[in-house]
Amino acid sequence: MSTFGALRRQLDDAAETFAGSPGALSEILTGMVDDVDRALGERLEIFPVCHHSPASALAMARRLRDKQPQVIYLELCEDLRPLLDELRTCRLPVALQAFATELDGFPESWGPLSVVAPITEASAEYQAIAYALDTPGVELVLVDRSSDHVFQWHPREEPGRPAEEAALHGDAVGVEIGDLRPRFAELEEHLLHHGKVRHWSEWWDQYVEQPLAGADYDTYRQVMVLIGGLFRRLRPHDAAKLDRDEDRERHMWTRMREHLAATGADPERCLYVCGAFHAASRVEEFGLDAARTDFEISPRTATNWLYGLIPSSHSAIEAQFGLAPGSVSIAAATYDKAVSRGGVKPYTLKGQQKGRRPGTKPPAAPVAVADQLSEFLSKPAQRDPLDEAELLGWCVDIVRLARRNGYLSSTADAIAVYETSILLAGMRGRARPTLYDFQDAAVTCIEKDTVPGRRDVRRLCEIMLGGDRIGEVGYQSMPPLAQDVFERLAPLGYDMTKRAVHRVLLDLNADPELEPCSHLLWVLRRLMPEHAVRPIMGSRRLGERSVQESWDVALGHHQRALIELGYEGVTVEQVLEQRLRRSVWEPKATAADALQAVEEAILFLGGRRFTDELGARAVELLAAERSVDDAPDVLRRVRRLLAHYRATEPALPEWCERFVTTGYAQYCTLLPTAFVAEDVGVRQVAAMLGFLASMESLALSLGCDRAQLELAVRQSHPETPGKIALLWAARFQLGVLTIGELRERCAELLANPLVVPSFPQYLSGFVQALEAAPVLTPFVVEVISGAFARLPDEVLLPWLPTLIQTLREEAPELVPVLIREAGRTFPATLTAVDAWVPPWTAPSGPGGAEVATATGAGAAGGPVTGLLAAHPAAADALAALLGCEGGWKTLTPAGSAPGHDASGGSPEVAALVARHPATVDAVAALLCGGAAV
Amino acid sequence: MTEMLRAPAEVKYAEELDWLESVDDGPKPFSWRLSPRMVRLFVLGSERSDGLDREIPQKWFGDRSFVERAIVTLASDRGLLLIGDPGTGKSWLAELLAAAISRNSTLVVQGTAGTTEDHIKYSWNVSMVIAKGQSRDSMIPSPIMTAMEHGVIGRFEELTRSTSDVQDALISILSEKYVSIPELDDDNIVFAQPGFSIIATANSRDRGVNDLSSALKRRFNFVRIPVVTNKKSEAEIVRFRTVELLRRHNIDLELPPTLLDILLRSFADLRAAAASAQSDDGRLESALSTAEQIGVLEDAILHSNFFGDRTLKAETLAGSLVGSLARRTPEDLAILNKYWHGVVEPRSKKEGGEWQGFLEGGRQAIATLS
Ligand SMILES: Nc1ncnc2c1ncn2[C@@H]1O[C@H](COP(=O)(O)OP(=O)(O)O)[C@@H](O)[C@H]1O
Ligand SMILES: [Mg+2]
Repeated sequence: MSTFGALRRQLDDAAETFAGSPGALSEILTGMVDDVDRALGERLEIFPVCHHSPASALAMARRLRDKQPQVIYLELCEDLRPLLDELRTCRLPVALQAFATELDGFPESWGPLSVVAPITEASAEYQAIAYALDTPGVELVLVDRSSDHVFQWHPREEPGRPAEEAALHGDAVGVEIGDLRPRFAELEEHLLHHGKVRHWSEWWDQYVEQPLAGADYDTYRQVMVLIGGLFRRLRPHDAAKLDRDEDRERHMWTRMREHLAATGADPERCLYVCGAFHAASRVEEFGLDAARTDFEISPRTATNWLYGLIPSSHSAIEAQFGLAPGSVSIAAATYDKAVSRGGVKPYTLKGQQKGRRPGTKPPAAPVAVADQLSEFLSKPAQRDPLDEAELLGWCVDIVRLARRNGYLSSTADAIAVYETSILLAGMRGRARPTLYDFQDAAVTCIEKDTVPGRRDVRRLCEIMLGGDRIGEVGYQSMPPLAQDVFERLAPLGYDMTKRAVHRVLLDLNADPELEPCSHLLWVLRRLMPEHAVRPIMGSRRLGERSVQESWDVALGHHQRALIELGYEGVTVEQVLEQRLRRSVWEPKATAADALQAVEEAILFLGGRRFTDELGARAVELLAAERSVDDAPDVLRRVRRLLAHYRATEPALPEWCERFVTTGYAQYCTLLPTAFVAEDVGVRQVAAMLGFLASMESLALSLGCDRAQLELAVRQSHPETPGKIALLWAARFQLGVLTIGELRERCAELLANPLVVPSFPQYLSGFVQALEAAPVLTPFVVEVISGAFARLPDEVLLPWLPTLIQTLREEAPELVPVLIREAGRTFPATLTAVDAWVPPWTAPSGPGGAEVATATGAGAAGGPVTGLLAAHPAAADALAALLGCEGGWKTLTPAGSAPGHDASGGSPEVAALVARHPATVDAVAALLCGGAAV
Repeated sequence: MTEMLRAPAEVKYAEELDWLESVDDGPKPFSWRLSPRMVRLFVLGSERSDGLDREIPQKWFGDRSFVERAIVTLASDRGLLLIGDPGTGKSWLAELLAAAISRNSTLVVQGTAGTTEDHIKYSWNVSMVIAKGQSRDSMIPSPIMTAMEHGVIGRFEELTRSTSDVQDALISILSEKYVSIPELDDDNIVFAQPGFSIIATANSRDRGVNDLSSALKRRFNFVRIPVVTNKKSEAEIVRFRTVELLRRHNIDLELPPTLLDILLRSFADLRAAAASAQSDDGRLESALSTAEQIGVLEDAILHSNFFGDRTLKAETLAGSLVGSLARRTPEDLAILNKYWHGVVEPRSKKEGGEWQGFLEGGRQAIATLS
């Protein structure tokens, strides 16, 4: 047993340290021997495994060839069984996944639930699976608790997810076959410290893997159970309650007994594959001959579990299970090396795509034959020529790779790495350099003070040894949704399942048949992570259509996300519909959210039924809202939607009308409070006014009462400058305040040195008010000019930055309107400045002044107003003819600011137009070439 | 043995090294006094699994693979360059390695801007040259040349601070392994004996002062020593150095574990604060290395011993901490003041114990300095 001397010393030492008392120590030591006896003596052959152990995988392959079992029981969630047949179409590593979003029996906050079980090629379980699935008459039975039980047994008070994020696995709960690690940190630390290694994988490699390399089956089993037994006996006292290991063992034994009873299989021809930890189990249910206990497997909850395969990778596995970076890759390389040396012929699933990279070329002829191995072990270590050749090969390769990555490495480095590997192995008491020694040696000899490229030497070693293997799920094993996506993208002419970034160009004018592809890409962009589908050119917004688009599509890289979409529905459209519906029914959903959902439904799904449903919800949400925080958003969105419907549909949807009337009533009610509430900003109030003003004609035509608004404005008594300015603007809009009065008030403000400092806030209030009263634009320009003209420099100069800042922060989208107006008002050339007279100081035409100031009609554009004012008779006659009773004073111009909604006109005009649609239609036909208004 | 203010490692641990040499049956490269495994054991201390009759204490704390990589480098034909932030124990590790391998850690060249080629090759004893002319007798070999002649380890501290001329001279020593003395007609080449190697140290914060040429880099294996952030190892280092210091000064004084904990925690807090500070003004000038912690403790101990009542108190520790870290006024003082108000005060309310004394001492020290 000298091969295992070092391991034995390690285990004894750990037992002694953690046993506490000498009595406990001897109990542990004899207990471990008992564990081994019990496991090896069991009628049903137990095959203890450890995850990512090449020795386990090789021993499994050997044992399967020898024994040819008929039934294999495997420690893996029993409900994952159907997925195993699909492994054939995949390139490993992939993970089996159980996924649930509709929870029933678990706290809602846990959702979505996800369990992943990664499967790598270099593993004992893969050997067992491949053997069982490809050998006729062999049955593979998964016996561990179901995914549902994973969560049933999860402590309730904790959230149902681990903190760790592993890119490919997301935040799923990982399950692994053969988890064999110390169950508490101090034990692991102790073993690492005394074993003089850095991390667990290295310890395992040095003390277990290497000695086991040539061991026979019995030795293999003994060693595994011994380690499992020790870890089990040394685990903290309360662990049993937390980790549910024993319940899992009860579950597995119960299932195996049930299966044997049901099928009458011969236990002699069965094999039970479980982690070494479970092989050393002492539960009462252990063994086929154990007496019945009252252990019952609880039924699953009503949660709806969905199953699928997702791609996995070595690094994802390392991250999820807390293994040292690169350790899974190194285990895989060790396994490949052992296989290529011969002696064992491993099983592979027929049809399996090999995951091997070209980098790891197998060395020449196998030399070590099975019976030479025992001799080899009894002799002190001697370097095998094959090992030597391989090590040299690595040294040459790493130098080459390093050079390609910007290092100044040379042949001298290759020699140095070779020597250093051997020296390190010698110092570490290893017969031959392991991959870890090689990696350390390469780092020592090649890495200098800076990393020249993107990857350092340690990472390059991993890449050279096969690198991070990333699995791929085969097309046939993908959920219908993913298949559907690939099929629908096929016209683009790329194999989108490939892991690459495809640059796709769509000329939709030239190839209108690609329209559906473009549409699908937009939906995918809405549903998938940012880099999966990225538009480089082209956009999709209401009222827009791009004729040319270019995309970066990397679906192959985001296979997992696509597959997980597949759990939510059969097509992406269905998934989007569900998500939109869910988003508007969430407890935190707001009216703005619902309007957004409507917009997205129009953009991506089409179909009135669903948008109407979402719209109806928006109305409900708006009516229930007490906060006006979202008012700007609501206004923006509802304007967009109204414009869309006006342009595309004969009539507004019923919900839109209700939204406008509800909003009108709602905002009227909330206006007085919003004007005084400290936590409501000027922007919000301005948006409310904007809504009230621009929706007014529509709202009134639908039965709202303008008196409500007038009352609301009369009840408003703001105290802050911004809101005061807003109120003035609102009152002007209602016709209660004339432009002359407004002008006067501003002049007073400017004249009062105490108020001057807060003048920018008044100004920003006016600017905000443009949302509701775009006709004020020239007036605001006038006020600003006035301020510049009248304020003395020592007030003006310090004041300017504040003004700019205030405008930029509070009214960024209205500033351009202002600037355009200023451009219209001020002369464009230097010479013109001298002759320039500001329009507000210019004398108005006869009788026109009154009209223009009271109604702000000046904003509608000089010539027309001038013309009308000069020949009032014609207009009067026309008005009489049409039945417009109001006369000149009440005439307010329709909103003329660019982008301003047409409904922003005066209610009288709107009502008039509504009464005589034929006239307007005729005019529209004349002007717009027949487009509906 | 005569008294030394600070004995080199080979003197301080002479007895231990003798003993290790007597039990060492491993293969020794060149003229090494110990086998690589024994060198590692000397530096990192023994485990029960090593099966030795006596315990060898750990002397350098850190990842064992750093030490292993350093040792095998010295057994190969490359020089060793330890690179890292100041105070990470590079020089100490170099000293330990040289002591274990060659029993001589004193062949040291200190790299500065003023270091010249003579410092790493040879110079002349001017009066002897005048009297007898140039000969091997009138030549003064540099420590590096001495190391070559005897096949032992030479050391070069702060390699990056020396000029490129000096670095170039080092390249030829490391590649040709001899130094020629053109002034002499015969016996004019000094060959390096097997076992000769160089351990250099470099401060990674110095980078850019005199960047190493790639030719020189190629002749060194780099081992990067990171700052210790693990509290447990840091505590070990500080305790280890303090015990040594006490012994050196013949001071009989207890280091209460609670005080050590306070020191470690306040350094950890200050480091975290420095890491999240927006500008240099919000950051202490000090790098807050382990070595600085040792400095603070050293100061506190000496102060208690010579000016106090020979017990180490939290007040004294606080005073030393403020005194050593407040280098710039007002910036550093402001930071410390903020720390005392924002962290130490609430903590002393919550945890009480020694923190109260620490609070008081710190306040006083800050008041005195402001
Ligand atoms: N990892 C360590 N192990 C032991 N002592 C250390 C360690 N790091 C720092 N020290 C102590 O700190 C002091 C300063 O270290 P030094 O070797 O001079 O640092 P450097 O050369 O890296 O600037 C040393 O005297 C040493 O005792
Ligand atoms: Mg130093």
